[in-house]
Amino acid sequence: MLRSQLPWFVGGPLLGLCVVAMRWLMNERLGVMGGWSDVVDTVAARRLSFGPFGWMLIGLIAGAAIYALIAGGPVFEGYGWLTDTFSGTGGTLLIIAILFVCGILIGVGTKIAGGCTSGNGLSGNAMLSPASFVATMTFFATGIAVTLIIEALIS
Amino acid sequence: MTTRVAAAIIGIVFGVVLSWSGMSSPEVIREGLLFKSAYLFLFFGGAMLTATAGLALLRRRAPRALLTGERIGWEPVKPERRHVIGSAIFGVGWGVACVCPGPIATQLGQGIWYGVPTTAGLIIGIVLFRRLQARVAHDPQRTPAASVIPSTLAGDATA
Repeated sequence: MLRSQLPWFVGGPLLGLCVVAMRWLMNERLGVMGGWSDVVDTVAARRLSFGPFGWMLIGLIAGAAIYALIAGGPVFEGYGWLTDTFSGTGGTLLIIAILFVCGILIGVGTKIAGGCTSGNGLSGNAMLSPASFVATMTFFATGIAVTLIIEALIS
Repeated sequence: MTTRVAAAIIGIVFGVVLSWSGMSSPEVIREGLLFKSAYLFLFFGGAMLTATAGLALLRRRAPRALLTGERIGWEPVKPERRHVIGSAIFGVGWGVACVCPGPIATQLGQGIWYGVPTTAGLIIGIVLFRRLQARVAHDPQRTPAASVIPSTLAGDATA
């Protein structure tokens, strides 16, 4: 059971309740990028005294590790379209480079937009914030367009 | 102290749910974005509706935060150019790598090594953004893209 995908009508609401819990307990907007920023900013200042957001990120990574320990490793092999398209040593190096560049785009982009899929997509929309609605429409539209372009190129 | 422990517990629940829902898998995200599977949209929609209903209820029934005693409330943020430009940059990375910041963290936790280069990029992205912010604060006229990188981001509590 742990290895089959959690039904969306269980997982979705549980994720939503995390947003509510963060607000109810400490009046904060749940956002994973807030966690990454807290950790990076704190370490950059040569400290390790993370705030609630940094601890939320540590919890997030720990939660995934706990799941992996109980349910076993990931059910998939390789890395989606990237390992289907690029193989061999050269291919692996290319995939590493692509993922690294994508990480930079995700980091800079979400910082400029003030939130990611959780901060703007979940929490911001639940706060009925127009900026988050605009951000969500934009990243879904761009993500869908880029995925469709890749699909057309590789098939 | 109590807020840190509470936030860590929320993070653990978040991490187990994301992992169990298969969000660490690039194929799950990709099949959603290609409309081959409805799971991603149903999962996201279910989370958003629950959060929206919960926050609406908190606004009416819960005047103060349980741990901090702070008054519960927030201000809506007006859309600016940076919300569109930033999210478009993010969307490109999301579409190619099929991960966003949450799944990057769960990949690390689940021991999926492909998450390591993505994490390295993400960290450098944050550092780059902070440098641009510092430059805008110091000399807004001579910094490129100063209009989308304000030195402080009003309204984004966690940014």
